[in-house]
Amino acid sequence: MSGHDSKYFSTTKKGEIPELKEELNSQYKDKRKDAVKKVIAAMTVGKDVSSLFTDVVNCMQTENLELKKLVYLYLINYAKSQPDLAILAVNTFVKDSQDPNPLIRALAVRTMGCIRVDKITEYLCDPLQRCLKDDDPYVRKTAAICVAKLYDINAELVEDRGFLDALKDLISDNNPMVVANAVASLAEIQEHSSRPIFEITSHTLSKLLTALNECTEWGQVFILDALSKYKAVDAREAENIVERVTPRLQHANCAVVLSAVKMILLQMELITSTDVVRNLCKKMAPPLVTLLSAEPEIQYVALRNINLIVQKRPTILAHEIKVFFCKYNDPIYVKMEKLEIMIKLASDRNIDQVLLEFKEYATEVDVDFVRKAVRAIGRCAIKLERAAERCISVLLELIKIKVNYVVQEAIIVIKDIFRRYPNTYESIIATLCESLDTLDEPEAKASMIWIIGEYAERIDNADELLESFLETFPEEPPQVQLQLLTATVKLFLKKPTEGPQQMIQVVLNNATVETDNPDLRDRAYIYWRLLSTDPEAAKDVVLAEKPVISDDSNQLDPSLLDELLANIATLSSVYHKPPDAFVTRVKTIQKTEEEEYHDGEGGYSESHAHAAATGASPPQTTSNAQSSAGRSQATPAPVPDLLDLMGMDNSSAIVSADPTTPAGPSLPVVLPAATGQGLQINAQLIRRDGQVFYSMLLENNSQVPLDGFMIQFNKNTFGLAAGGPLQVPPIQPGTSASTLLPMVLFQNVSPGPPSSLLQVAVKNNQQPVWYFNDKIPLSVLFSEDGRMERSSFLETWKSLPDSNEISKDFPTFVMTSVEATLDQLAASNMFFIAKRKHSNQDVLYLSAKIPRGIPFLIELTAAVGVPGLKCAIKTTGLEMAPLFFEAMESLLKS
Amino acid sequence: MISQFFVLSQRGDNIVFRDYRRDVQKGSAEIFFRKVKFWKEDGKEEAPPVFNLDGVNYFHVKVVGLLFVATTRTNLAPSLALELLQRIARAIKDYLGVLSEESMRKNFVLVYELLDEVIDFGYVQTTSTEVLKSYVFNEPIVVDAARLPTLGPAALFMQGNKRMPGTAVTKSVVANDPGGRKREEIFVDIIEKISVTFSSSVSYSSISSACLCSFADTLDCYLLEAWSILKRLGVMLSNDDEQGYVLTSEIDGTIQMKSYLTGNPEIRLALNDDLHIGRGSVPSFGYSGSSGTGAVILDDCNFHESVHMDNFDIDRTLSLVPPDGEFPVMNYRITQEFKPPFTVNTLIEEAGSLKAEVILKIRAEFPSSITANTILIEMPLPTYTTRVNFDLDRGIVGQNADFKESQKKLEWNIKKIVGGSEHTLRAKLNFSQELHGNITKEAGPVSLTFTIPMYNPSRLQVKYLQIAKKGKTTNPYRWVRYVTQANSYVARI
Repeated sequence: MSGHDSKYFSTTKKGEIPELKEELNSQYKDKRKDAVKKVIAAMTVGKDVSSLFTDVVNCMQTENLELKKLVYLYLINYAKSQPDLAILAVNTFVKDSQDPNPLIRALAVRTMGCIRVDKITEYLCDPLQRCLKDDDPYVRKTAAICVAKLYDINAELVEDRGFLDALKDLISDNNPMVVANAVASLAEIQEHSSRPIFEITSHTLSKLLTALNECTEWGQVFILDALSKYKAVDAREAENIVERVTPRLQHANCAVVLSAVKMILLQMELITSTDVVRNLCKKMAPPLVTLLSAEPEIQYVALRNINLIVQKRPTILAHEIKVFFCKYNDPIYVKMEKLEIMIKLASDRNIDQVLLEFKEYATEVDVDFVRKAVRAIGRCAIKLERAAERCISVLLELIKIKVNYVVQEAIIVIKDIFRRYPNTYESIIATLCESLDTLDEPEAKASMIWIIGEYAERIDNADELLESFLETFPEEPPQVQLQLLTATVKLFLKKPTEGPQQMIQVVLNNATVETDNPDLRDRAYIYWRLLSTDPEAAKDVVLAEKPVISDDSNQLDPSLLDELLANIATLSSVYHKPPDAFVTRVKTIQKTEEEEYHDGEGGYSESHAHAAATGASPPQTTSNAQSSAGRSQATPAPVPDLLDLMGMDNSSAIVSADPTTPAGPSLPVVLPAATGQGLQINAQLIRRDGQVFYSMLLENNSQVPLDGFMIQFNKNTFGLAAGGPLQVPPIQPGTSASTLLPMVLFQNVSPGPPSSLLQVAVKNNQQPVWYFNDKIPLSVLFSEDGRMERSSFLETWKSLPDSNEISKDFPTFVMTSVEATLDQLAASNMFFIAKRKHSNQDVLYLSAKIPRGIPFLIELTAAVGVPGLKCAIKTTGLEMAPLFFEAMESLLKS
Repeated sequence: MISQFFVLSQRGDNIVFRDYRRDVQKGSAEIFFRKVKFWKEDGKEEAPPVFNLDGVNYFHVKVVGLLFVATTRTNLAPSLALELLQRIARAIKDYLGVLSEESMRKNFVLVYELLDEVIDFGYVQTTSTEVLKSYVFNEPIVVDAARLPTLGPAALFMQGNKRMPGTAVTKSVVANDPGGRKREEIFVDIIEKISVTFSSSVSYSSISSACLCSFADTLDCYLLEAWSILKRLGVMLSNDDEQGYVLTSEIDGTIQMKSYLTGNPEIRLALNDDLHIGRGSVPSFGYSGSSGTGAVILDDCNFHESVHMDNFDIDRTLSLVPPDGEFPVMNYRITQEFKPPFTVNTLIEEAGSLKAEVILKIRAEFPSSITANTILIEMPLPTYTTRVNFDLDRGIVGQNADFKESQKKLEWNIKKIVGGSEHTLRAKLNFSQELHGNITKEAGPVSLTFTIPMYNPSRLQVKYLQIAKKGKTTNPYRWVRYVTQANSYVARI
């Protein structure tokens, strides 16, 4: 091969395609190869060379592997848009899959799996079957991944052809690369299936642990990740696992190290011996620190993970604080994370060193970093009582430098310090007041005003100081106005003299008459009434002792922390968000122009009928050319805002719309036609394949076509929100459309006691916005992994105090048979654990789990044929109990 | 699993784009680039290496100015994605000899072929150049290396030290030399990146009495400060003590190997006999490393998967069959004290209300047989600095000093510093406003970057490099090279 490939990138002139066509059909091999290269070059820069399909495919039959690979690359890209022509390639594929050269066999299977055209998929099964049992490990490892590809295209085919069993056999393969790929493939299939497919038993456990030692580094990651789902039976087994995994901590690949750390942390939960735990902590520290010597990108990931680890096990890195000191040349994202960890590790022992660092950082150039450093000093003061004084003197030193943003940041944290240690450090107020006129940021201003109001009796000229702010009251941001209002009231209550009295009148007048901010007005009226009815009561209210604060900023809620720790080394641990907050399991298949064309012409009838069905049952036949197109469903992109929705590129977000009836019982009416000016909406939350959907049927009984449908959900207990835009075609009068809207969790969580209320707003281009209320049946949140082992069920039941038990009777329910009831509950991911007889009654034990790892342990007592069922549950999320019973009731009814 | 992999140029052009799972929209490269470029409105802050945008997770690393990016929709391990991106860059570099936009464009077919073997359906298959060689058939088209920046720590050797054959680092592992015959050689590089932070040094004239009082108030609390107060009060014994003491120091070391040996013979590497791993492993920790004696104590280390450690615990030898391509045999980390190669002394003196003088003194603390290269000394100056006049040592060629007005920074470049020598820079600063308070708080710290070939402060050594002989081939060339580079080398003032 001569010359430079980059010459193929020369600009397309008119007539290039015919030219290429000619070259592709050249009788000279080299010329053909060059031509294919040119085609690929055009393809990679985004030019449409699909019209050369036949000519390129004609080059496929060649002994030259280099050329063959190029043609295959082309096929992967364009087969989808030329499904009828793609069939031309099938024969060569099948032939190649039996080639004596293992590379060609593997290449054929690998490529066929990437071509999502049913006609090709049909022919894939036989070669795949052979390749799974091939003599060559390279072919077998390629085939193992290919099963996952096929499952993605047609899950039923995989199960029918017994590929799952073949894949499970490969776990025992003598080649570790094959084992690793089989594990990866099975793990992916499990992820998309609600049935247990890949369960790690103690037998597979030992096999995988053995393979771990021989595997490539990437294979080790697959295996460690799969093993992290395994729950050890007891402390001894956990110790054994840890012992086998610990050597991985010495690996040069940081992905291996972090996956090993995750495994060890998970197993440590079960280990009871404090010696073993202490020893493990000691072993984990150096590798974790070593991650900070890697590239900054890796450091960032390591730091986000370490942040979680030190919250759970602060001892691990307690002596390593120095390694988190910021380097001069660290990128800002690394510096910020290091600061966060320094605060977490700061203790009475190392605080002097830490303060020296913070002080240095506070004089650096990057403003955000400097601010964070100043705040860090304040947070240490709040965290460490004995160091508070030293922290404050550092802050005062910084204030003296008179760098504007440093001063403002310092004042904000000093306010917090005052709240943490009331009546201790007020002597510094005078120093703070010196900087009064330089404050121009709302938060700093508000903090300073709060300080003046709170300590009005100790500041001689408090009234003067406040008065200087009052002049600009109307221009101040609301945050400052609110503080000014409160501070003036405090001043008046503490010093009820003439000056303050005048001031308060000005403020109240300003805050009630001259403002249109309702918060400010409400607060002003409350003060006004308090002051005018009972000044003593006002004193009790306004000057009441405040609760002491603690440093809980950036501290995670324990249950969330546990969930995140279970996800160490994954994205979840970097975002500090549970996986369900950003991953939606519904897969999207990119829409090619071809599909869009079909959609436009053929309407939604064919392709989308399959879309809705894919979740529950994949297309029955493989000969349907549209079935793979039909899988183009649902965007997982969580879109919180309707406005954003409108700006989004629709081609990237496709949601299934299913004009035929969605599976399951008919949907309840949520918006009657009478209320919706002829638009009737039936809707319900449902769960399919581990994903929550809002199943909707929209009926247009009005006189005009309705289009431009959009939906939004109000804050709710579970933060359910649309996982993509609502895709409903224009609905003609007298017709209807239905859709499955994928939902995401924990987007906009409403605080307060749990409630099943789901408030929905739907709008279209023709009508006003419709609001309606729906219910969140808790059962749609029951996750597929809610099954508990018998032993852990028992343990958990025992470990939860009786106060966590709550029960309810369902007097009208009649159990026809135990099996029927169990089946019914199992369909909603309530898993049967055990059964016992108690006189004539059956006592059933089941488990279920809702996101964030809240388990429900359920005891049902009933007798077959006799009305009445008693349901007792034990759970850590007791506040969810009413919702649980609500869901139970509707489940039993149906 | 990974959905897409792509490489973007600095301008955001697609150099390579490979979609493995088709569940992320095609425009992702553009969306990504726009997001990264305008991460913060002012364009100053860098985007973190991992972020989520509309349900798509983006991972990226920067290698020689190129952006290597992966996307996914799943809860993938970011450590895997980021490590993979680095490894892909390394494998491509192994193949092409040079990693650059030009070399990748010229070899795009080869790069695609590599990518197909590295990732299948989003799952990493292998990143080992050695393994890839059996599946990848395109020959690389070599680009002219001389005018291109190279990748990786070994690029340090490009800086023109005659004893070291610099070309090796830009040689493809698969392409043949112009003569058609491959040269039998192996490179072992001991690369140490050092980070040192010196505490503030003395600056007599800037101490105001107010400052002293506030220190005295809190004297008992400030144990660490106490030391510097003593120094400030003039309790100084010798001139050598003028510079600050070492607050933190760290060595991040790598033993990097690149083998061009045919037939993959086994190799044995022997390290210092008195090498200890784990700070707790040494019974008496009394001796300090700065004196030049005593054991080498590693805090932690890790090894490439090809390394056999059967004898490591006994005689500190590593054996391995080196795969083709560049790879780290061993990474190590040391926080044991060592003698910093440079000491820095900074003096700031106020000279009237609108003027000040800075005196920077840098001393090379290594033997005179060794020479440091491309030393850059930087120091941020107060923001109201308007003009700086420099006074450089006479008679030394290859040095220059500059005031970067836009960044308000002083830059002092020195081409070479011979061990044992001392260099001084005097700078007169002019201010646009009167000084308020403490000038030392508004200037500094002083940071250094440098490269010192054939020197490593840890004293870790490759005592011998043994190549198991196969047949009667000529003795291969063996290059064992040491180099030290500044990572974060900072003197506070």
